Amino acid sequence: MSDHQYAMVMDLNKCLGCQTCTIACKKQWTDHDGMAYMYWNNVETRPGAGYPRNFDTLKPAAGGFDRHGRLTPSPLPEADDYGKAWEYNYEDRLFKGGKRTVQPNDPRLDWGPNWDEDQGGADRGEPHFFYLPRICNHCTHPACLEACTRKAIYKRREDGIVLIDQTRCRGYRHCIAACPYKKIYFNEQLGVSQKCIFCYPRVEKGKVNACASQCPGRLRFVGILDDAESPVHKLVLTHKVALGLFPERGTGPNVYYVPPFNPPRRGNYGAGRSIIDDPRIPMDYLKYLFGPGVVDVMTRLEAELRTVQAGGRSEILDLLIGRDADVRYRLVNTKSKGLDPFQNSPPQQLVQIGGLNK
Amino acid sequence: MSKHKDKTISRRGFLGLLGGTGAAALGLLGGCRGKGGAPGPAKLAPAEFDPMSRYPYRRWEDLYRGQFAWDSVTRSTHSANCTGSCSWMVYVKDGVMLREEQAADYPRINSDLPDYNPRGCNKGACFVEYVYGAQRVKYPLMRKGLRSGNPVDRGTGLWEKVTWDEALEYVADKLLDNIYNFGPDTNNFFSVIPAMSPISFAAGARLCHFVGGVFLSFYDWYCDLPPGEPITWGVQTEACECADWFNAKYIICWGSNISATRIPDAHFAYEARYNGAKICIISPDYNASSIHADQYLPIAPGTDAMLAMGVARQLLEHNWIDRPYVTEQTDMPLLVRADNGKLLRASDLAADGDGEVFYLWDRRTARAVPAPGCMGLSKSNGRAVAPPAGVFPAPADEPGGAARPVRAEGGNIRLDGLDVALEGRWPIRLKDGLRVEVTTVFELLKKELADYPLDRVADVTGLGATEIEAMARDLGTRKPAMIIHGAGTNHWFHNDAINRAMILLAALTGNVGVNGGGFNHYVGQERIWPEAGFKKLSFPRGGAKQRWQNTTLWTYIHSANRDPHPYGGKPIEQWIRESVGAGWMPLWPKNDWSDPAKVPDLKDPPRKPRAMIIWRANYLNQAKGNEMIFDTLFKQLDLIVDINYRMDTTALFSDVVLPAASYYEKADLNSTDCHSYMHPFGAALPPQFDSRSDWQIFAALAKKMAELAAKRGLTPFKDEGKSIGGLGWTRDFTRLYDDWSDNGQLADDVAACNALMADSPETEGMTYDLIRQRPQRFKKTDPHAWTSDIEPGVAYTPYKHHVVDKKPWRTLVGRQQFYVDHDWFLALAEALPGHRDPVPEDDARYPLYWNTPHGRWSIHSTWRDNRYLLRLQRGVPVVYISPDDARARSIADGDWVRIFNQIGATVCICKVLPGERPGRITMYHGWEKYLGFGEGGWQSLTYIKIKPTQLVGGYGHVNFRLNYWGPTGNNRDIRVQIEKFKGEPPNRPA
Repeated sequence: MSDHQYAMVMDLNKCLGCQTCTIACKKQWTDHDGMAYMYWNNVETRPGAGYPRNFDTLKPAAGGFDRHGRLTPSPLPEADDYGKAWEYNYEDRLFKGGKRTVQPNDPRLDWGPNWDEDQGGADRGEPHFFYLPRICNHCTHPACLEACTRKAIYKRREDGIVLIDQTRCRGYRHCIAACPYKKIYFNEQLGVSQKCIFCYPRVEKGKVNACASQCPGRLRFVGILDDAESPVHKLVLTHKVALGLFPERGTGPNVYYVPPFNPPRRGNYGAGRSIIDDPRIPMDYLKYLFGPGVVDVMTRLEAELRTVQAGGRSEILDLLIGRDADVRYRLVNTKSKGLDPFQNSPPQQLVQIGGLNK
Repeated sequence: MSKHKDKTISRRGFLGLLGGTGAAALGLLGGCRGKGGAPGPAKLAPAEFDPMSRYPYRRWEDLYRGQFAWDSVTRSTHSANCTGSCSWMVYVKDGVMLREEQAADYPRINSDLPDYNPRGCNKGACFVEYVYGAQRVKYPLMRKGLRSGNPVDRGTGLWEKVTWDEALEYVADKLLDNIYNFGPDTNNFFSVIPAMSPISFAAGARLCHFVGGVFLSFYDWYCDLPPGEPITWGVQTEACECADWFNAKYIICWGSNISATRIPDAHFAYEARYNGAKICIISPDYNASSIHADQYLPIAPGTDAMLAMGVARQLLEHNWIDRPYVTEQTDMPLLVRADNGKLLRASDLAADGDGEVFYLWDRRTARAVPAPGCMGLSKSNGRAVAPPAGVFPAPADEPGGAARPVRAEGGNIRLDGLDVALEGRWPIRLKDGLRVEVTTVFELLKKELADYPLDRVADVTGLGATEIEAMARDLGTRKPAMIIHGAGTNHWFHNDAINRAMILLAALTGNVGVNGGGFNHYVGQERIWPEAGFKKLSFPRGGAKQRWQNTTLWTYIHSANRDPHPYGGKPIEQWIRESVGAGWMPLWPKNDWSDPAKVPDLKDPPRKPRAMIIWRANYLNQAKGNEMIFDTLFKQLDLIVDINYRMDTTALFSDVVLPAASYYEKADLNSTDCHSYMHPFGAALPPQFDSRSDWQIFAALAKKMAELAAKRGLTPFKDEGKSIGGLGWTRDFTRLYDDWSDNGQLADDVAACNALMADSPETEGMTYDLIRQRPQRFKKTDPHAWTSDIEPGVAYTPYKHHVVDKKPWRTLVGRQQFYVDHDWFLALAEALPGHRDPVPEDDARYPLYWNTPHGRWSIHSTWRDNRYLLRLQRGVPVVYISPDDARARSIADGDWVRIFNQIGATVCICKVLPGERPGRITMYHGWEKYLGFGEGGWQSLTYIKIKPTQLVGGYGHVNFRLNYWGPTGNNRDIRVQIEKFKGEPPNRPA
């Protein structure tokens, strides 16, 4: 077990589905050889197939552990389930007199990492959906780690970040089969598996993860779970309003979600009917994702919302407002003994301003 | 697994970044690449350790640490008209721009309001792609064969690479020829939205100004202008900065999908919800914002004014209106003659009475008394006259407009000592002895609202009566309450009536001019804070010396667009003739437009446009009815110049394409109405390839024109005479560069930035160097341009000068004006706000609305072709259709479909969306015509329709001014049909 555990809370009631996190991560880490198709951070519309497609319903098993603590590896997703990183030949049409409209280099063009964006579902004539941003869960009991016969996957003692040693990985992909979240990707050009590194080069310098730092919806809270001052500790352990994804898979995920509401069904608004009693998003679906505890969390959150909308105060919602970065993130220097927090710094304070025209 | 190959990596090779440890890694990796399928054979780990607690080989971690490194970082931003105005940092390593990240250092307004950080979106996070992407225009280009007199067709995409000197000489030569041979009003200049990069804007605007060209509007043309605001408030647009959303207790997002189109600001609304606000989302589709609503109202398209009027009636019935506010701040108590529907004027009562003095009924004295603050009183009191709010010069400055200045200061609207009636009917004796009955605007409104009973409103809007009542209750009882308004509703033909009905709700409840309240419209980055300096830099000799043109009207006339609908029994061409003839609307080039003998067909005038210079805009791709431009205007023009960093559709169809510096390669400024800060563009690297900043491009063009004028021995051009709408300006083009650069003082981009800020009170004390350190909050507001002060610790919200300080509103009546008694408004039954049915089309053949809203994946056409973003969509243009409409046509998700109407057709793929409303199909706008379609484009189905009420002038505050008042280029009323595509879809490369 690690001494400390970094964790992230994502408030799904603030998520815009804008994918700025996805692009931020892509440009920060996965814009290199063999990585074009992979999104260490993705945002998927739920209900939906997810990314890679149907990763959570693979048969005969979908990864993680069974109730006896045994690995339940899944088949590997196919390349088509991730989607192809399309290229476009603009040169031909725009500069070489090409006659055809520019088309992506994918004759089938029938799937991609966000193919079912905003489609969601419909229940009794009313549509519903929400956005689910996903990164590696840096699990307390990482199935990937357990599955790696090379022991090339490890959990950092000082902060619980789970990493794949890029020099020792041999690309066996047992980790991919074992991960219930399918958050490990195979780099075919390099022959290694790769995944979200919780931006350790950033957090080591007191700079929050790219996906959180660049999130305009400001829905991500980052800190050390065992640091009582951290927002993640408060939301997960004190207020207990954030839940892990697929908790029954037994890996102990360290990304937590404030579950999504969606508006009341038509006719219920103002009629004093709880959203739990007649939800727009079927409650069974939310239980499927977040476990049975979701009902209690949503019941309490709804009460908090009604309180503030009636003019009262709510400590939980006040925290979730997350007025600035100092509220949302508490990064600590894990090399020091006392969990000393870094000051949140805008990037230019880490570097020399200027460039060539200074 | 198949190979995933990324062709871009040469500049950022993963292996190159591996460093010392990487070299060893490569050797190890060589022999054991995976081949796909099942996991590889299990092998025993070489060492005995527990990776859960200790890992002995951690030096490799430097690999990723090495990727979080750079040589320099530079503050810049984007200029795509998103309204974001987000400050970013651009990271450079080894002379290459790697990535960008929000600067996230906007100063906090106060400790209660959430801050503005991080401001930015998915698009801004991958602009670097355009710096190096295949779309980049790298060198000056001319249409192949143009110089040899045997050109290929426009849009072919075949070019000759030329030198700057060759390109500029060709352009300068043509512009001078046009001026001397055809008149300066045949040269046209189009560039949009100064706030997003005012220096680049001013570069060409200055040239246009000094060569007498026609400057084309954009805010009205793109239908981002809410015409209800100039009508009701006498402003172009005024909205609170988005931090003020947090102060609201009730937020209605109406036609505004904030999660998708206000990405940097949406958090303020959802955080306001946690602060006690309720959120109501009104939208036909169940979208990314609907999911976060307390109340979601799936309204039938085009019925927004019906709902607003229905809610207004509920507010009245339940007495949820703020009567003292309504009496003081609106025209509701003004007296109206029952006999002719005109407001009662002093000129009705006395021979020498002023036609712009209006009346209230004082119950204390039982008399009609002049309404304090109305325009006529401010004249007779000799009050200060100031230009009104808005980007461009005051109407008094403008040639050819029956223009009237509106005062922004002086006088007040207090009702001290009066007991003003909102309701009642009284007899009045006019100057000729005639007795007429007068009543109040409020009485007329009540009568109008009788047409909006709950059951009818529910029936038309498709909403439930209880849903409408619940909304009215929230609006009437939760304070403060605001409407966040967007293009979803503003792009309807009857946008003026829709705006006015919504503004009515905000005013009746006393929410206008209050923090956390109001009607806040955000479409387009239209408002430039440092307005005075901007005007001086862009049009240095003032509005009277500039030819202005509303682009909707100009494009309608000079293209094959034809609206067959009669309005008030007359074709639109007749309304245009009358408006232009009255001097209400300009129409260039100069022709005898109102004389059918001289211009028998408005669409075929003797004098036509000859040249068009386009920069910072994609005119052709974004034009309503662009299929009718290709073969008319864009065939007739003798010269089309596009200045651009990327080859967009307009550039593709141009004669000369000049390579512009990208957003990360120049100095410029940036501001928005969404926040109250100034921040800059900066050059992370110098202009790449053979590009130049817009400022330097127009400097070079001015120099070249001066050089040619001298070489040709041109005598100064006398810009005078009726035939060209002369401006009384003798132009010596040999001095053009001296004029353009203010004798060299403005030769440099940074000098221009500093001059603009030095000339504006908002940016007092700011310099380019200062704002490069950190965004700076504006210091104060120019009272001529703004309606509230900038107060430390307070989010900006407009209209406090009127609501708190009681200064007259900038309208004819000096109040928020809901009753417009202009003859055309009366004739068209538009005097009051109200619901009008969308423009009728052939609904039997084309039963579906064609909805082309703003979306999350592009800012207009910018980023539409960005592969990083396309990979997170469906890779090509896609139309959304409801499951019902799809099923009825045997269309399945992913099918190729053909969409068509009387205008044209487009072929693309479709996506079945449960949240889409039956009766409507949606394609998020901006797709370049060359990308992904099987046929046509998203504008192939649209055409220009002008609403006659938007052609009026000569009415107090309602007069043409560029981007303030003029016909809007609406597009929501279009109808189409969709079918499964039966032809052969385009081949896609493997």
